[in-house]
Amino acid sequence: MLKVRGLEVFYGPIRAVRGIDLDVESGEIIALVGGNGAGKTTTVRAIAGLTPYKGTITYDGKPLTPNTAELNLRAGLALVPEGRGILGRMTVEENLSMGTYCRKDHAEAARDIERMFERFPILKERRHSLANLLSGGEQQMLAIARALLSRPRLLLLDEPSLGLAPKTTTAVFELISSLRRDGLTVLLVEQKARQTLKIADRAYLLETGRVVMSGRAADLANDSLMSQAFLGGATSPEIGSP
Amino acid sequence: MSTYYAGLFADIGILFLGAMSVYIILATGQLSLGNAGFMGIGAYVASFLTVEMQWPLTAALIAAALAAAAIGIVVGFPALRLKGIYLAIATLGFGEMVRSFLLNFDRMGGSGGFHGMKHVSLEYIWLWGGGIFVLIVLLERSRLWLEMRAVHDDETAANLVGLNTTATKVGAFGFGAAVAAVSGGLFAHHHVYIEPGNFGFERSIDFVLAVILGGSTVGAGAVVGAGLLVLLPEWLRFLADWRLAAFGVLLVLVLLTRRQGILDRPLLDKLSLRRARA
Ligand SMILES: Nc1ncnc2c1ncn2[C@@H]1O[C@H](COP(=O)(O)OP(=O)(O)O)[C@@H](O)[C@H]1O
Ligand SMILES: [Mg+2]
Repeated sequence: MLKVRGLEVFYGPIRAVRGIDLDVESGEIIALVGGNGAGKTTTVRAIAGLTPYKGTITYDGKPLTPNTAELNLRAGLALVPEGRGILGRMTVEENLSMGTYCRKDHAEAARDIERMFERFPILKERRHSLANLLSGGEQQMLAIARALLSRPRLLLLDEPSLGLAPKTTTAVFELISSLRRDGLTVLLVEQKARQTLKIADRAYLLETGRVVMSGRAADLANDSLMSQAFLGGATSPEIGSP
Repeated sequence: MSTYYAGLFADIGILFLGAMSVYIILATGQLSLGNAGFMGIGAYVASFLTVEMQWPLTAALIAAALAAAAIGIVVGFPALRLKGIYLAIATLGFGEMVRSFLLNFDRMGGSGGFHGMKHVSLEYIWLWGGGIFVLIVLLERSRLWLEMRAVHDDETAANLVGLNTTATKVGAFGFGAAVAAVSGGLFAHHHVYIEPGNFGFERSIDFVLAVILGGSTVGAGAVVGAGLLVLLPEWLRFLADWRLAAFGVLLVLVLLTRRQGILDRPLLDKLSLRRARA
């Protein structure tokens, strides 16, 4: 479904992503794990069309053009960015309404919003409050709900558990598993490797802009190198780039 | 109405239009300090059309608005890559560019100014002011407004829901430029004489000030701001030399107590919508 070949992204002279190859097949949850500064965010931003890059990214066999987020979304590729990217000074309902912006089936889109309210009752309860005023977990739900309203086939999630309490984190991971059961393909960026590998099918480990390990999530979870680097603590360890 | 007040209300109407031109652009999160430039373009284009081409004023104003919108869009594409203070400075530069172009443009009088326009009535000025205000109120209730607010709120997030943020910003800039041009055309036909100095930096600041003072989050703020900006210095005349200082103090006081300006959505709702909803 998604094929990334030789992806390179520069911030001025800094080569943040240094030739990454990555494949996502339909129906999978693919995990992209790695420490702070490994290049995870940069990679998904390039895929979503938020940054220029070198290399090729093909989606459904068609090459994507760099820096065209609004086109990528219409092709069925939605990103929930790091930090959630909610519209803080707009209400929950307006956020969801913006989620359907790219759709032409307005009546069905309106029904989808109601379905989202059923799926996330807390959002319904707070539909008229400013998104800023929601808790971190609620904001993350809102961000995911809004992304789903564009009816994507591939959902990119960048550290959805960042800054959330353990219980809320578990809820988010459960939600991601349930999305896959609904037939959605997910590319999940996370630092909480242990929990991530549990729900993922395959995983890529990134370090300083390169893939240093990839394979079945279960195998990676058992790998000694991986466990030394990441799975030591119950929560995510912070590792700086060498 | 005395000619004194008629003059003041004409000034308010013209400033109201200028303030709305800033407000529309501000709605997408962009601060323009160059709208006097678009006002100047509007003033000169409209005056040229009525005086030299014998066009009727309304047609001339529409043509001036379209011309300014086109220039706004052309300027907007590169300028709106800039954000915040950099954009503000770039628009300021644009305004000064227009002014110095007009100074050297001898075909339209250059530094000597241009005249020959026919005086326009107060009612006509407010017909335009009211008409564009209604347009803005309609816009504020439309889907497009939601998009503009989204761009204002978080450009990346807006981009990620599929919005072409460049188009939204450039569109707002073009619309703002058109409204500023109407303000300029009316100014020219109210004062029946224009010179490049009429459309300097201070004018752009007046527009912004009216919006910030009156309320930068609702269109109706522009009319409150324009009214106060014109009337307060008059009412403070008894203070003689101190009136501008007193005006400045009042301004600071208002902004200290209400950062969003005098009018905002909750206050407007209290004044109108609550009855409608109940
Ligand atoms: N806007 C930016 N400007 C310059 N360097 C950046 C920027 N964003 C990220 N980087 C650098 O790129 C590298 C990868 O960052 P990032 O993709 O955010 O990593 P991760 O998401 O894995 O923590 C880091 O070294 C970071 O410092
Ligand atoms: Mg990151």
